[in-house]
Amino acid sequence: MNRMVLIARAVITDSIRRRVPYVIVLFAGALAAAIPSLPNYGMGVEPAVFREVSLALMYVAVIVLALALAANRLPAEFERRTVYAVLAKQVSRWEYLVGTWAGLTVVMTAVIAAFTVVIQVVAVLFYGDPMWVLWVGALSMLLEAGVVIAVAVAISTLMGPVVVVVATLTILFIGHSRSTLLGGLGAAELSYFYPSLDSFNIMLPVAHGNGVSALAVVSMLTVFVGFTGLALLLGVVMIGRKDL
Amino acid sequence: MSTNDVAIRVEGACKTYKRIGRSHAHMAVDGVSLKVERGTIHGLLGPNGAGKTTTLKMLIGLVRPTAGTFEMLGEDSTSPKGRRSLGFLPEQPYFPQHLTALQALRFYGRLGGVLKDEIDGRSNEVLAKVGLRGEECTELSKFSRGMLQRLGIAQAIIGRPEIVVLDEPASGLDPVGQRDVRSLMLELRERGTTVLLSSHQLSEVEAVCDRVTILNFGKVAAEGHIDELLNVSGQTSFKVRGLPEFPRAVSELASDVAVSGSVWVFSVEDSAVRAVVDAIDDAGGTVMSVTPKRESLEDYFARLITLAGLEVAS
Repeated sequence: MNRMVLIARAVITDSIRRRVPYVIVLFAGALAAAIPSLPNYGMGVEPAVFREVSLALMYVAVIVLALALAANRLPAEFERRTVYAVLAKQVSRWEYLVGTWAGLTVVMTAVIAAFTVVIQVVAVLFYGDPMWVLWVGALSMLLEAGVVIAVAVAISTLMGPVVVVVATLTILFIGHSRSTLLGGLGAAELSYFYPSLDSFNIMLPVAHGNGVSALAVVSMLTVFVGFTGLALLLGVVMIGRKDL
Repeated sequence: MSTNDVAIRVEGACKTYKRIGRSHAHMAVDGVSLKVERGTIHGLLGPNGAGKTTTLKMLIGLVRPTAGTFEMLGEDSTSPKGRRSLGFLPEQPYFPQHLTALQALRFYGRLGGVLKDEIDGRSNEVLAKVGLRGEECTELSKFSRGMLQRLGIAQAIIGRPEIVVLDEPASGLDPVGQRDVRSLMLELRERGTTVLLSSHQLSEVEAVCDRVTILNFGKVAAEGHIDELLNVSGQTSFKVRGLPEFPRAVSELASDVAVSGSVWVFSVEDSAVRAVVDAIDDAGGTVMSVTPKRESLEDYFARLITLAGLEVAS
């Protein structure tokens, strides 16, 4: 456990010294600040639309950043052989993999929190409402980012960054396409077995409703634990069989 | 060598790489066995592709062996637990670029078992030892090749390991750095640390290693004490000065004669040593040294590799 925490801390330190998180947060933050000035409805954007657009913007930024940080993390360490010095110590490969995932997820937590605060500041300035419900959306995005990072890290034990990005986006797309792909009659029974990420689809209730129920949060957590656990398990098996 | 005296034991190590689209697999390491005595420096030599690095990687658990057993201090070194006494310097080491030297050493030190309370002091101590004092807060992206090499050595020894495996430790270092690395290896041996050294720098190996194992085509081509391997049986080497010309009596007995300035170097059969000393004395020369004839490691290595190549060709 201690070694996993050490690896996670090293990943955090390394990630926060890179420019990518700051560039994406600044860019997305600037766009969020610009949303109220959009010439929608003549008088500017309504609060519900502001919430919806800012959450969508945050979602795109989070997925891009998660992939930017995770897709090349392990391939670069394998290629540069930085992994040798770590795994030659008393460190298991699973500790290395899970520690890497944990470090990246903590970085994403900080980024999502910063982004949410920026949106809240804009909301207070333009609408006089801190819109606390945005944090539910932030939680959903954090959990989904955790899944995306786990999938990307697992695939990257064997593949290069381009394949990792394409494969992860494909899984993300499939995960959100249950109703499209299993829409026909007769396929309903299959939906129970579909690897769906729809539990994270809470943008509309957050933007236009009063948030989500406790059951929905439990559902999100269950999907997060299930998908992340499975992806990391596959990653551990794959990295365990890899010749470095 | 009793079991307790063995720090590293490799038995029947094999590694086969399957090649897609080819019927034959490539055997990178073929039945290599190796024992390293505690508190010694053991050299692992061989030309490129001989299987040195693959053997080291299997020993450390970075590559999955096809067959063989690998032990450090009696424990399976392919499992993390078996590596608790190990410090490893990979060939041409790299580290996370955005960490500073001190942050990197804190990280590797803690992974290597250094306690939290001791880590800062130990990191500074090791940085000073490898010549990186004053670079604690420098980001590793600004480090030169030689500085990264020094940091690599620092991370290998920070946990006070009982066994240190060094893969090309002098690579990228200037002559002063290479001398420092040699001194460090000797210092480690003095403290009882076992060093397994893989190197192309034969002069370095000859200077520090107690025993060597030479690999070629994935197999052990030779193994033994460096003196046993290099001493030429039955021959004695002379170094002589003050001779206006080489005495006829000596020239009939000598071989490999070379002269540099006023110093003559040659070898003779052991049985002729007395006669040669007398002949030089009679000619007015001074015998500077009489030693068992010793081949240079370069010559030995080249001869061995050539012979092995001929065997494979035939």
